[in-house]
Amino acid sequence: MKIINFCKALILLVAFFGSAGFAQSNKVLIVNSEKAVYRYETIATEFKKVLQQNAYQWAEFNLDGHANAEAELKQLIEQENPALIYCIGTQAYSLVHNVAPNKKMLFSAAINWRRLDVGAGTYGVANELSSAQELSLLRYFFPTIKTIGLLYNDSFSREYVETIKKDALASGINIINKPINDTQEISGALNELLPKIDIFWIISDPVVLSNKESVRQIFQAAQQQKKPVYAYSDVYIEQGAVLSISADIATIGRQSAGLAMMAEQDKVPGGTVQSPAGSMVTLNKCALDALKLKFNQDALDSVNKIVGCDQ
Amino acid sequence: MIKYLSTLLIGVLLLNSSAYANESTEHDSLEKELAYLAAERKVVVTASKMEEHVDKTVATTTVITQDDIAHIGARNLLDVLRLVPGIGITQTQFGWREIEVRGVKTGLSEKVQIMLNGHPLDHNLQNAGSAWVYDDLPVDTIKRVEVVRGPGSALYGANAFLAVINIITQNAKDLNGLQTSAGWGSFDTQQYRASWGKQFKNTAEAALHFNFTDTNGINSPIPADSLSVQGLNSSAPGKSQLTEGRYDLEWQLGYQDFKLDGRYINKKAGTFFGAASILSDNRTQQDYNDYFLRLSRIWKIKDNFTVDTQLFHDYFSYDNLWQVAPTQFIRSGLQDTRTGGEIQANYHFSDAQTLISGFSYAKEQQGNLIDEAGSDPARLTPTLTTTEERIRNRWGVYLEDVWDPLKSVRLTLGARYDRYNDFGGTFNPRMGFNWEFIKNYSLKFSYGTAYRAPAFGELGLANNPILLGNPMLKPEEVKTFETGIIAHPVAGLTTQATYYHSAINQIISQVPVQSTISKYENSGSVIAEGVELEARYDFDGNLQGSYISANHVLQHSVQLGRQLADVPQHRTNLTALWAFDNTWSSFAHVLIKDSTSRNLGDTRQDVPGYALLDLGLLGKNMFGKKVDISFNVYNLFDKRYYDPASTSLNFIGDYQMAGRAFFGHVSLKF
Repeated sequence: MKIINFCKALILLVAFFGSAGFAQSNKVLIVNSEKAVYRYETIATEFKKVLQQNAYQWAEFNLDGHANAEAELKQLIEQENPALIYCIGTQAYSLVHNVAPNKKMLFSAAINWRRLDVGAGTYGVANELSSAQELSLLRYFFPTIKTIGLLYNDSFSREYVETIKKDALASGINIINKPINDTQEISGALNELLPKIDIFWIISDPVVLSNKESVRQIFQAAQQQKKPVYAYSDVYIEQGAVLSISADIATIGRQSAGLAMMAEQDKVPGGTVQSPAGSMVTLNKCALDALKLKFNQDALDSVNKIVGCDQ
Repeated sequence: MIKYLSTLLIGVLLLNSSAYANESTEHDSLEKELAYLAAERKVVVTASKMEEHVDKTVATTTVITQDDIAHIGARNLLDVLRLVPGIGITQTQFGWREIEVRGVKTGLSEKVQIMLNGHPLDHNLQNAGSAWVYDDLPVDTIKRVEVVRGPGSALYGANAFLAVINIITQNAKDLNGLQTSAGWGSFDTQQYRASWGKQFKNTAEAALHFNFTDTNGINSPIPADSLSVQGLNSSAPGKSQLTEGRYDLEWQLGYQDFKLDGRYINKKAGTFFGAASILSDNRTQQDYNDYFLRLSRIWKIKDNFTVDTQLFHDYFSYDNLWQVAPTQFIRSGLQDTRTGGEIQANYHFSDAQTLISGFSYAKEQQGNLIDEAGSDPARLTPTLTTTEERIRNRWGVYLEDVWDPLKSVRLTLGARYDRYNDFGGTFNPRMGFNWEFIKNYSLKFSYGTAYRAPAFGELGLANNPILLGNPMLKPEEVKTFETGIIAHPVAGLTTQATYYHSAINQIISQVPVQSTISKYENSGSVIAEGVELEARYDFDGNLQGSYISANHVLQHSVQLGRQLADVPQHRTNLTALWAFDNTWSSFAHVLIKDSTSRNLGDTRQDVPGYALLDLGLLGKNMFGKKVDISFNVYNLFDKRYYDPASTSLNFIGDYQMAGRAFFGHVSLKF
């Protein structure tokens, strides 16, 4: 090729890219991991309410409704060119991360967000409350507690458990954690763990909490060994947990919308992951009394809901 | 009293229903929570999983996706490989192409291992290499091509010497129905493809691909041959006769954890120049058959412990008629088979550590030799065989540990020992690390060795008046050290710089033993070193889907103090993709190749360098997302350029490559 032709080609290429605008739409694409999952859907509904109030446009994509979700999602992203993609759940985040790694992304309802590859253009609302905050509340309720035990799966919760351990160390609490790979290991792990601890902490680990049977096993073992159970969600109060501090799901949706709007306008630094803003403290007075567990009466002021034996 | 009883009954009923409702709500809440956890359990996004990203691997890897292939407007695998840094493609006199990797090029590309869905394709035991039938592999059914530059014998065994090219084709899930495509272009090129895939409810799945390709070849002018320069009767001046036609049939059948897959290829080709130093007329015919059949199963022992098992049978045969003089023909043919199995255990100690170990065994066999000669291709008579029937048994054991001691650090340690019944054992280690020392900046280092097993033709060549086989040959060896850095300085920008140094020893070369006779010997060594620079910027916003990228290699390969012949010291690829909208996009590619020097004693001037511009236009998802259309122009400015002809053909100059060429392609989904 003559040099003049080569230069012509280069000028053409530069002109291609120079002529195009860089204007951004303010459309948000909501990618839901599974519409049938209550938590995901509640978050999506609340998220959309806030967007509507602020005159934002959005498009939705539910992963469970598509046989070839990856290709269709990629096409939709190209078609809609959203300013931000809101990923509800880990599955959605994982797929979007692969399909459009350079897009601005916001996630929520992803268990243990620290395992995700959160880059500069990624924002999030954590699924778990701040473990430092939880530990401090636990300490407030049960001042005599020295050792907390928990089960977890390394694939899903390693980073979260490491954070808990660091925060516990700062609070003067000892954490005994035991990794499991399968629900069949729960029983043995509990037998080993429970005698060594003051309270058992149920974290949102999807392997430990695989089914109702694994939940039943945990509470049965804890009851047999007269150990109180603290849980991340109030759904375990009925099973026998003495205390729960749960993140409010609807608030996560609204909080995400606020963060999305700020992120879209670059008003918040990239990589920001917020802890859930709303929480609810539930105390199971019945389980507490049955275990004859001492607790700080002043802490009752912090409780949103007290469950008695008749409830 | 009745009123009292009925009130009591209603009260009891109400209380009961209320209690039931409470219980039901509580159970619902737990069920909802467990359903959420189950949904989260579906995907494991672990640190180690993330580190399988190209950035985090220890090896230098380039991945070309289906989308990239569509934009390139690739006509075959070669058009895809051309864009990979460190890889160059050139024409041979016989027809197949040479794949140059990191400054090292050989006529049979036997130092490059090509794999299809992880299965090695070096089925030609006589001459090694996979370029025979896989160089012009159709690309319509390809989902991804992964090119790993550097030695891979520690995991893949023989012949993963300079690079591993793994071609991943579409499976049942990718197809999900019927897809067809057709392409037409210059040189009477035509391509047709039909693929069908379906996943059934009972876990069964099936994917079938069929390709047909035919071309008359580029008809390159051949000004002279050894006869014409003496004033004797010959086909020269004339044109190259590299017609190529092929059928490919691929299948992937799965049920539960079992999978049966394979590919059959029949390829017929003419020749570019010919087998001897005379220009062949159109009576040279190469006929290749190649297939493999693999039955595999994944055994899930525990969540963190799986075992992959496979049995395979590979087949390769050729039956070629070569014109060696205007009225003299030889026919040569053979059949090669490789039958064996492999068992590989994958143990995930934790997200931070995975151990892979395995054992493989294969029996390789060569037979059904055909050697004939005569003046009439229809009436040839048997001659002495030029090679021998041969059986080889080999086994290998390997172990690899991938360990992330920190989230930002990955260490890889591996080794493989292979034992052959004919030349003994060979041990090949591999080690490396990847360290993300600052967010988005990773440093790589690796060291590894690899080997290429002597081919049957090199061991047992016989009755050849000018070249002798050598049953005492040892494998060729390479030791490679490489280090590099990958960085994402700003969103959308990926940059990579790699330095490599390879020492190739015990090269199997043709060494003169008498004035006119040579013999295969382990002789000589090559030092190849170079730097590969890559950068790609993906646009966002209105230009979502557009990118510009560039790669440049500076390579220096030395044998006996001289730069290797026919290998450029610089090669650059510039590419740009502009997505006009959701449907239309255009693609531009500029290849700039440095001049190449000649062999010692070859007095021709260096082969001049050149720059070529290709342009393409692609329309995707048209007419209800059912139709894709593309049109590409190669060598837009009709640049005249040449691939080097071997020193033995120095009297003809070099091979003139294709001028401006067009290719149009239509793809339909049902």
